[in-house]
Amino acid sequence: MRLLEKLWGRKKSSRKSDKKKKGTSNYAYAVTRVRAMKSKLMPKETYPRLLNMSIDEITRFIEESDYKSDIDELAMKYRGADLAEHALNRNLAFTYEKLLRITEGEPNYLISEYLRRYDVWNVKTLLRGKQYNASVEDIQESLISAGEFTYTFLSELAGKESYQEIIESLVETVYYPILQEYDGTNLADIENKLDKMYYSSLFDAIGKPRSKDRKLFAKFVKLEADVKNLGNLFRLKKAGVEQLDEIMPLMIEGGFALNTEKLAALPYEDFVEELRNTEYWDAISSVMGPDMDSLTALESKLTKYSLESATTYSHVSPVSIVPIMDYIIYKNNEVNNLRIIVRGKEAGLADTLIKDQLVVI
Amino acid sequence: MVLQDVKPTRSELITLKKRIKLSESGHKLLKMKRDGLILEFFKILNEARNVRTELDEAYKVATDKINLACAVNGVVAIKSTAFTTKGSPEIKLSGHNIMGVFVPKISSIGVRKPLYERGYGIIGTNSYIDETSDAYEDLVEKIIIAAELETTMKRLLNEIEKTKRRVNALEFKVIPELIETMKFIRFTLEEVEREGTFRLKRIKAKAKD
Repeated sequence: MRLLEKLWGRKKSSRKSDKKKKGTSNYAYAVTRVRAMKSKLMPKETYPRLLNMSIDEITRFIEESDYKSDIDELAMKYRGADLAEHALNRNLAFTYEKLLRITEGEPNYLISEYLRRYDVWNVKTLLRGKQYNASVEDIQESLISAGEFTYTFLSELAGKESYQEIIESLVETVYYPILQEYDGTNLADIENKLDKMYYSSLFDAIGKPRSKDRKLFAKFVKLEADVKNLGNLFRLKKAGVEQLDEIMPLMIEGGFALNTEKLAALPYEDFVEELRNTEYWDAISSVMGPDMDSLTALESKLTKYSLESATTYSHVSPVSIVPIMDYIIYKNNEVNNLRIIVRGKEAGLADTLIKDQLVVI
Repeated sequence: MVLQDVKPTRSELITLKKRIKLSESGHKLLKMKRDGLILEFFKILNEARNVRTELDEAYKVATDKINLACAVNGVVAIKSTAFTTKGSPEIKLSGHNIMGVFVPKISSIGVRKPLYERGYGIIGTNSYIDETSDAYEDLVEKIIIAAELETTMKRLLNEIEKTKRRVNALEFKVIPELIETMKFIRFTLEEVEREGTFRLKRIKAKAKD
């Protein structure tokens, strides 16, 4: 990731959030570019073929696609599955950076708000690394500079002596008020607050959707919030957390179809019964059991459902934020699928298990 | 004991008899201890075998879980989440006595942590990470149990070996040699007695002549 420093050094250390909707929206241009980028994505028939290849063959295959320069750049430093994963992350970061470059005005604003999740991720990683006393290199390797902060800026933060210095360096960001509450012991609370803040800012950015495309964009984010809430409700109930005041601070507000407050208050059996009345039941009913020892199959089904639902209506508004979001979803999904295959192959996981984790849309 | 070094006297014979008696009772006791230790060993062996099987299984589960979590979330995400770990589990070491052998008793505090005390945020993570943490907590617990049982087994085995050597030394070396020496003294004393009787008879015959 350090190799990105040269290129990303061109970006400002942090983009100011006050450029809300600045400039004229260039949807026609951006959507045309995005369409061309989408045509370069791997077709879904590729995945079964990749499952029959070894890691080196997969890396070679990836190298022959859009990921060539990433593999070539990182081949000196990494090997095998590590090389593939770092190359995929690097390519994803470049792609998002390109999207921000080719968009102006409203789409740029919406995308940058959506990509703030990577900033939240990086801030969390920096705090985690400092709490653990991890080496600067280890922290830097765990950063994904696909959001507002440049790799140079994040690397500088990773090199700080303590978490206090990191927090002071973020004084001008929207994360500062939350980070100020960090005392070295309450990292989980801070992480939860940062994640919740990310979604509330994103909902603020979307505003009250009036047009069809905004409604679809809002639906996508709301679905994501619902899927996260549902997964977390299952996790908390399985962990024996029953108190409403303990569960509700961990729920993302503004979801699509779930009444989290009602679901959180119910005991497990009633909670499952209540889920039958939601639109998510069809997606998860096949993996629901009485004891639910493992929730991974359920989370995998929910992720598949949210991505499939989000991409179903992507053709509705051809010149809007929807095709751009659609591309972001597809690209992110491609990276996830390739990583699942490479890492699964490396670990010797069964092909059926790898296939179950893939989301082919 | 070399027979030439032995003084064939009655007092030596009495001492020897006492030593043989002592050795025989010691031999009996050591044999009982050895048998007792072997019984204890087999009891623990079965337990250790089960724990070892469980440990292997737990290791396999933990490896599978982390591999799956790495595949789904990426190694970068797992590494970052692992940084949230705070503190190490506390291990308490005490001990107890099995037939004179001091064996350890290992207990642990803070290996298993509830979901909300693991240090990472709930919203930004998923069940793949939870299940990996669960699996590794289970593995650490099994390692602690296995460490206790396997150390106990090692110590018992050492003690059994030591006791066996002592029993064998008493049974095949010390006691037979003592008996041999006792026989030698007895024989020598009888010989001296016979010589004395013969000498008296000769003196008596000469006196008659």
